[in-house]
Amino acid sequence: MAAPLDNGALFVAIGAVPGAWLRFRVVNHFEPMLPRKHWGTFGVNLIACFAIGLLVSLEGSCGLAAGRTLLLLATGFLGSFSTFSTWIAELHATLHQRQRREAVLLCGGSVLGGLLAVGAGLAIGGS
Amino acid sequence: MAPFPSESPPTLRREARDLLLVAAGAVPGALLRWRLEDVGKGLEGVPTGLIEADLVANLLGTFLIGVIAGLRPPRPRLILLGGIGFCGSLTTFSSWMLEISLALRRGRPDEALAVVLVSLLGGLAVVTLGLAVGRRLGRSRLRR
Repeated sequence: MAAPLDNGALFVAIGAVPGAWLRFRVVNHFEPMLPRKHWGTFGVNLIACFAIGLLVSLEGSCGLAAGRTLLLLATGFLGSFSTFSTWIAELHATLHQRQRREAVLLCGGSVLGGLLAVGAGLAIGGS
Repeated sequence: MAPFPSESPPTLRREARDLLLVAAGAVPGALLRWRLEDVGKGLEGVPTGLIEADLVANLLGTFLIGVIAGLRPPRPRLILLGGIGFCGSLTTFSSWMLEISLALRRGRPDEALAVVLVSLLGGLAVVTLGLAVGRRLGRSRLRR
């Protein structure tokens, strides 16, 4: 394995820490204001979807974000900011509690909302 | 470590400890996801390899978060380190959605739907399995 600086691991790691911190703090901060905690995770994931669409389109249209910038911001920061595991665990909890409406809203809202957010990011970035 | 004086609540110290635990989990989690992406790219053509690599990281992290959540009694520090830090960073929602969005843009709704369904149903299956494993681990710890 090459040195961390050569293979980009440092960029991924440096992006990952604030990404995870921000997710942790945002979800905790909004928890008392939301009817259910999972809407905090939902919000975090949708913001990350918009941002990754924007980043990828900026890379495609004007080369603003490339190589190590993408490792830092997309793989490191946004990859850690957004989460699949907590989302599925929370979805499982709503299903387990037989809250079908809430589960459908969380699942459908996340997938459709995520696609719309990525699409908005891509469009604003010019692709 | 010296006991914290009871008259000053250790909120700042606890907050620093919590953030440190989350960061200590986030770094290996993100690095593992990144390595798994590379493995996927090496094995197959770039698009399917990427999709499958994200799937591996997402399902692995979802299984592990199930195990951690299933442990009784709950382990708050392990939840911060392993659940919020490691599993949260190992798994990703944004790349998954990006792959689905790009498949739709390529005019491949079948591929997009397959990625959604496999990840969603696979995720629900492995979190159920993880929770069962976690509960079992908790029981065997109590018996010992």
